Amino acid sequence: MAEVAPILAARDVHRTYRFGQVEVPVLRGASISIAPGEWVAILGQSGSGKSTLMHLLGGLDRPDPGRGTIDFDGRAVNLGAGRSLDRYRNRDVGFVFQFYHLLPELSVLENACLPGLVGGWFGGARANAARRRAAELLDQAGLSHRLRHRPAELSGGERQRVAIARALVNGPRVLLADEPTGNLDATTGASILDLIAAQHAQGLTVAMVTHDTSVAARAQRVVRLRDGQVVED
Amino acid sequence: MYAALLSNRYLTSRVIPLIAVGAVALCVALVIIVVSVMSGFLDMLKASGRTLIGDVIVSGGVGGIPHYDEWLADLRALPEVEEATPVIDTLGLLRMPYPSGPSKEIAPVQVWAIEPASFARVTAYGDKVWWRPPANEAARDAMLHDDPRLLMDDSMLRDGLTLKQGATGKPGIVLGMHVSVGNARQSDGSYRPRFGWFMPGEEVTLTVVPVSETGKISEPRDATFPIVNEVFSGVYDVDKSRVFISLDQAQHLLRLDAAPLYDTTAEPDAEGNLPLLGTTPARVTKVLIRAKPGVPALAARDAVEASWDAFVAKASRRTDRLGRPPERVSILTWEQQLRDLIGPVEKEREMMRILFSIIYIVCAGLILSIFWSIVIEKTRDIGILRSVGASRLGILWIFLRYGLAIGVVGSLAGVGIAWVVVDNINLIHEAIGRDAPRAAWITTCAMSGMSVLMAVRALVWRGRLLPGLLWTIAAVTLGIVTLALVGHRGTLIWDPSVYYFSRIPSQVDWFNAAITVAGGIVFSVIGAAIPAAKAADVDPVEALRYG
Repeated sequence: MAEVAPILAARDVHRTYRFGQVEVPVLRGASISIAPGEWVAILGQSGSGKSTLMHLLGGLDRPDPGRGTIDFDGRAVNLGAGRSLDRYRNRDVGFVFQFYHLLPELSVLENACLPGLVGGWFGGARANAARRRAAELLDQAGLSHRLRHRPAELSGGERQRVAIARALVNGPRVLLADEPTGNLDATTGASILDLIAAQHAQGLTVAMVTHDTSVAARAQRVVRLRDGQVVED
Repeated sequence: MYAALLSNRYLTSRVIPLIAVGAVALCVALVIIVVSVMSGFLDMLKASGRTLIGDVIVSGGVGGIPHYDEWLADLRALPEVEEATPVIDTLGLLRMPYPSGPSKEIAPVQVWAIEPASFARVTAYGDKVWWRPPANEAARDAMLHDDPRLLMDDSMLRDGLTLKQGATGKPGIVLGMHVSVGNARQSDGSYRPRFGWFMPGEEVTLTVVPVSETGKISEPRDATFPIVNEVFSGVYDVDKSRVFISLDQAQHLLRLDAAPLYDTTAEPDAEGNLPLLGTTPARVTKVLIRAKPGVPALAARDAVEASWDAFVAKASRRTDRLGRPPERVSILTWEQQLRDLIGPVEKEREMMRILFSIIYIVCAGLILSIFWSIVIEKTRDIGILRSVGASRLGILWIFLRYGLAIGVVGSLAGVGIAWVVVDNINLIHEAIGRDAPRAAWITTCAMSGMSVLMAVRALVWRGRLLPGLLWTIAAVTLGIVTLALVGHRGTLIWDPSVYYFSRIPSQVDWFNAAITVAGGIVFSVIGAAIPAAKAADVDPVEALRYG
């Protein structure tokens, strides 16, 4: 059987942070390849570099210059201009964070359709489509009665559902989840994983960072990271 | 799209932007009020100058202008000139009819001797004569109620316009409204007699000093005139010192009328008479000219100057009569004539505009500091927006737009405040000029007491420091306001003897208001630009991790 071309791959990426005179190498030649429709869990201890790898995969950060590439659908996204990275984050991937990261001034519906409002060169039509899609996703997440509420009025699980709806509103091909259940109790965490699983079942590629082996068990494949390198795939 | 949504939410869901809006509004209002009053003052100065002296002023010095009738005929024939009028301008002393008893008050005055009919066509004299019949029944009833002497028929207005007491046929005098202490200005702008002294009908004695063509001073001469009316120009200096008499009376008093001239160096004839050299012509010291509608004052001045040169040339060829016009006279437009007054006020206005524009920098600094704290507080939000694809320019635009909104809302509110204040500035001034009403300080005292109770409630019962502090500040502030109101005994800010006019200008200078609004918006955006650039530079990873 011919090997399927990865939709998202990190190739020998290095990332070093500088704190004054001190250099801290977080990623040291990490490589990972994710096939379309795959659910991959990136497992590692705190400080292993898993969140940094997630940020690089999602185009929020770039590898050290000349030291590794991030490929999406066969194209090195980290080498493009800032604008192309913005577009990549807006259209091709969706983020879910441990602490939900919703905007407190916006309602549930406004938070969920936020990526659809970004890059609004398409005027009202794009915004309206985003609003419809966000309402649909929130309905699927069981939040249709909460559309006008503010994030402060929601429980942790509800906030994470809104965050998932936001990540999916522009129809990305890859969902990047950074400890999506890390701030939730076990039952609520399981329901969030069910929601992600449902989206995965519809063909969505999922890359999920976690330090919890039971959460990682929901994925099809587990990649272990230690000291900035992939040690098990 | 998201920039508009977030700007609006940041603006409407927080208190701190309201402080920025308030700061911009106050800065804009302050500049508009100051510049409007200054501009209004300048406009009033110019308008009053023109209405009182016409478009072009010709001054002939102490020797005066002989054969002025001929020149006036020349002037009236010019296509640029609507009307010209002769004037004698001199100083005098006026013996007032008060106080009772033999010793009377003496007022120094500036005497303008005029030909009333042509003078009224060159200036707005006809509109400025004050005492006239009531305009309607209500005014008539009010006058009757206030002082029956104020109820007058057409004769007093007619006497004022002709400078002649119709009933007796005597030549009369018209006084500036503030020459007499008997006129008390009311808050509605009207005048009522004070100390029982109502001037029209009283008699005054005017003393003037004749000055010869060569500048030699003669014995003072005086004449008694009935006061036939009073005139209110609105310019305090004029109303305080100017009196009007008829030209022929002044020419007679000042020896500027036509008179035979004898040769004092020759021997008298058998009957003791000196040889007659001729007749010296009557003279005036000024000629005021009104330009035709649409003719600029400068163009009229040039035409008058050419006419003067022609008149002098024509007069020099005449050897059959006495009296040669001076070679040089001062010919100025009304603006040039008032240059010493208008110039400094214009400079003062520009200086005020520049000084008050510094407030914009304070305003921009305030917005900068408020926005800086907002950007720091919103660092995580910026990271979230970057994670969903917002560009750095998009982030920059959120905060610039936010600054723009504050600038626009604040500036428009400032225009509103300025409009209300300027429109009611005379009412405000009069209120400041009176003792504070008892209701005002009782109200502030009650509010101060309420604030004390609220402060005690917050601090003692609820144990909350911030509301306790705010209520304490309110209580202290209201207490100070109460004390200030109790001690307030009326303050005169706009003294007409300093500012020339009896009323404070109360028209908003809309052109300058538009410039001020634009300045308020621009400086708000400038104040927002630095924090906006900082926001755009936020590293999304750090923002999400530590924000």
